[in-house]
Amino acid sequence: MSETIIQIENVSKYYRLGTIGTGSFRQDLQRWWTTRVRRREDSFFGDNTPLPSSSAILALDDVSFDIRQGEVWGLVGANGAGKSTLLKIISRITRPSQGVIRGKGTISSLLEVGTGFHMELTGRENIYISGNMLGMSKADIQHKFDEIVAFSGIERFIDTPAKRYSSGMYMRLAFAVAAHLEPDILIVDEVLAVGDASFQKKCLGKMQEVAQDKGRTILFVSHNMQAVNNLCQKSVWLEHGRVRELGETRTVVTNFLATYQQNTLQKTWDTPENAPGNQQVRFRSIELIPESDDPQRLINVTTPLRVSFSIWNFEPETWINASLQLYTNLGECVFELPTASLYCAKGVLEGACTIPGHFLNDGVYYLSIRILKDASSVLFDFQQCLSFEVEDYRENTAWFGKWPGVIRPTFPFAWRQVATETAHSL
Amino acid sequence: MEQVSKATEWGWELNSQTSWWDWKVKELWEYRNLWLRLIRKDFLLNYQQTLLGPLWILFQPILTLVTYILVFNKLIGISTGNVPPVLFYLIGIALWTFFSESFIAISFTFIHYERIFQKVYFPRLIIPLSILSANVIRLLLQLSLLTIITVGYWLLYRNPVMMNSWMLALPIAILLIGVNGLSTGLLFAVLTAHYRDLTNVASIGIRLMMFVTPVIYPMAVVPERFRQVAALNPLSPLFEVCRFALFGEGTFTPTQLAYSLFVTLLLFVGSMMLFHKRVDKLMDVI
Repeated sequence: MSETIIQIENVSKYYRLGTIGTGSFRQDLQRWWTTRVRRREDSFFGDNTPLPSSSAILALDDVSFDIRQGEVWGLVGANGAGKSTLLKIISRITRPSQGVIRGKGTISSLLEVGTGFHMELTGRENIYISGNMLGMSKADIQHKFDEIVAFSGIERFIDTPAKRYSSGMYMRLAFAVAAHLEPDILIVDEVLAVGDASFQKKCLGKMQEVAQDKGRTILFVSHNMQAVNNLCQKSVWLEHGRVRELGETRTVVTNFLATYQQNTLQKTWDTPENAPGNQQVRFRSIELIPESDDPQRLINVTTPLRVSFSIWNFEPETWINASLQLYTNLGECVFELPTASLYCAKGVLEGACTIPGHFLNDGVYYLSIRILKDASSVLFDFQQCLSFEVEDYRENTAWFGKWPGVIRPTFPFAWRQVATETAHSL
Repeated sequence: MEQVSKATEWGWELNSQTSWWDWKVKELWEYRNLWLRLIRKDFLLNYQQTLLGPLWILFQPILTLVTYILVFNKLIGISTGNVPPVLFYLIGIALWTFFSESFIAISFTFIHYERIFQKVYFPRLIIPLSILSANVIRLLLQLSLLTIITVGYWLLYRNPVMMNSWMLALPIAILLIGVNGLSTGLLFAVLTAHYRDLTNVASIGIRLMMFVTPVIYPMAVVPERFRQVAALNPLSPLFEVCRFALFGEGTFTPTQLAYSLFVTLLLFVGSMMLFHKRVDKLMDVI
């Protein structure tokens, strides 16, 4: 087992709320009065165990875990969970309010693409200044200079000021510098969220290469769960500054997604009085069941989804049918699926269908159900009655960009070689 | 931060404690490449896409010189003693520019570099040091211009050469002026990061400060009863030493020099302590 390279022990971080850094001289005087004159505990700036008060927020709350050499860790969590704060502390940009982080070896942090770049300077100058800032020595940069330029693919413009670059060129050069860092510990924050699909692909490919081939320790923050899943062995899930779960990436990410998917999977109404509808029909229940073995009932692109609903019908003796519409979160209709008309009496009606797996793409979808009379006049249109999020799922892939399209069906696609080139044929 | 704890073989440790005395000298040395790179960047940015380029380092004091001679010498008639006004003002301008430009730029360290400081760690003192170094280089170029003009005066007007053994003290005096610029700059950098309105205090203060420093007048013209007050400014004897070393005229006493040295060191140690105590905590404030 490899040795522990970073040890995070009971780390907490407080931030003062409100007028941070806007010359709050009065507050500072007040603080000075309470801490120095009256000898009370400081609420924010004190060195000795500051206590969170109403004017401070807890960005990190007693976080502890160990990272071993060569491990690639993912850091997942909702916005504001404290991921970036933790990275900033490990990168030595800011200090923890409590607790201690110990480690060995050099750290480089990529909290943005193009740290230290200056628009007025040439590409060449920028490579040097950014490299130096990220912790490369001059000899290192000289040694890798040609490689960096080749990786960025902007050989011709290397002596042109960066302000004349297109944003794509700028991004490529900036990432090229970052990709050639060789610290013991690499810290990467959401830098992959920028750039186009092919750039993201290149970045992630490089990350994977660095992580696998060179045995480097990496700490990685991303909202792209597919990337986290593929790159990281271990993950930490932060929630409101606390460690919610820690362990194998697959488990952590699955649990995280299960909690954060924007799913409204079930609605039931006991009595018609408060149920949605009108004098003619009212909804009694509506439910979406992911048909997977997964106990978390996580929905991904492979999961079949069973939709079932029931209504109270108050119309006497008439032809009624239901129609199910599926919308993307942008409001585009993916399909409309009507049932056959049924001659029915007052009472309860029930409908069900299954949206097959390997059909929808990843993203957020809404369901609407309409109840129609004589297959033509709408009795009630229950709009956006359920919403659910489909997660991406790919195996053994090096490409993590957004899969295009509203749906992602898999139907047979013939692909074969019909002739081979030999010496004399063709 | 770079403490190696004895019990385990950890390379570094991060906690909430910041130290007054841990100035991270070793780490500064490890980042010397960045320091040189930033000096280079300073010059590239200032003179790129300009017609005259680095010649501005020399034109700026010359233009100022012409103005000062017209206003302070011809119009107001401040005596420069036996020193030709051109030489007298030029050394004053060069030294003052060195001090004030260093001070202003360093006091803006956190405001100008906030974005980078929030994204990457390096010893923050690198920025003030590179600013100071770039200004040292500018000063040296201006001093060589001064030397050329002095030689010119000697050739054309047979001006007596008044350089003397105090020349040995010249580098020390310049160093002390630089340290003053660095120290006051660091103090204001920390303070302005907390209270932005202090940037106004700094810019007005530095303008007023010029008039209580012997830049446009020699200490000799200051009336006796004000001289004690004027000597409170630690820069005054240093400016006078430089003039004395070059032109044989300057007013200072050993006590004043000792005082100046003492205040400079006090400022340096105090500002370095404050800077290192506060620098990491400022990241949550700026």
